[in-house]
Amino acid sequence: MIEVIVNGKRTKISSGLNIKEAITALEYKGEGFALALNGTFVAISTYETTIVRENDSIEILAPVQGG
Amino acid sequence: MTKFIEAQADTWEIGGKTLNSRLLIGSALYPSPANMEEAIKISGAQIVTVSLRRQAAGDTTSKGGNQFWDIIKSIGIEVLPNTAGSHSAKEAITTAQMAREVFGTNWVKLEVIGDQYNLQPDPFETVKAAEILIKEGFEVFPYTTDDLVVAKRLADVGCKIIMPWGSMIGSGKGLMNPDNLLAIRKQFPELKLIIDAGIGKPSHATQAMELGYDGVLLNSAIALAQDPVKMADAFRVSVEAGRLGYEAGVMKEREFASPSTPTVGTPFWHQFKD
Repeated sequence: MIEVIVNGKRTKISSGLNIKEAITALEYKGEGFALALNGTFVAISTYETTIVRENDSIEILAPVQGG
Repeated sequence: MTKFIEAQADTWEIGGKTLNSRLLIGSALYPSPANMEEAIKISGAQIVTVSLRRQAAGDTTSKGGNQFWDIIKSIGIEVLPNTAGSHSAKEAITTAQMAREVFGTNWVKLEVIGDQYNLQPDPFETVKAAEILIKEGFEVFPYTTDDLVVAKRLADVGCKIIMPWGSMIGSGKGLMNPDNLLAIRKQFPELKLIIDAGIGKPSHATQAMELGYDGVLLNSAIALAQDPVKMADAFRVSVEAGRLGYEAGVMKEREFASPSTPTVGTPFWHQFKD
């Protein structure tokens, strides 16, 4: 297991997971969100080739109201 | 009269789209989602601003989305994602990239806040982010102050749209520096200029349009009104009125009074004196 930060909260996931696997493990479902890893945008097309590492910070954002 | 106004209704182009409405509306702060939906529809706006925020794990509603996003999609309106909450060019760029994927648009309302007290945009980071985003294919709608030189820098890096503030976000104070706004309009006749932030009353929107601005973007003035739907209708009319007034050509101000009724043939003219 490794420790990662997801939307500001520390949590543990299995080591060696790619983004797609990590999202599933973290119980994020669906397609209506975007993801950044350590402050850098990760496109859906690269989820499976991007590995999550210890202490990585993951931001998962979805649509909300805005001005 | 209505037919005449309809005949005068203009179309304009922004970001590659041809629109009828010059009112851009925000989607936040409404009393309810239903109220937001009705207000957006009544306003006639064809562009609505949206944003991104952290999603909770396990949210499986509506294909990972939410009621808000479902409503916006059902209205069939252009979305303008913002980068609200960004305090650096890097944060804004990442947010814009995420928004492009989620919302499926290359439009972005670029907001990089430089001061938390008055939410004044950071001109240095805004220009830096705009330059990078434009190179990445974004249509950047930068939120800026009424500073002419900042507007020039934004134009220099390729912005075709500039959105100076009327006054502080959410203040409702209207146009603090109309002379500055007019100077930007005169310096950049080829750019699309939109007043963004600070509008509080329909008359503020009319004033902005009378200055020759291409559009007005507002949120709080409608959402925080006692009756947001009625206020949305008021802003629809006020923006149209201001645009028509601008196109009609406002009379020049005069230093002295000048009678509008003809003086020739005035009865009793100087005939009876005490």
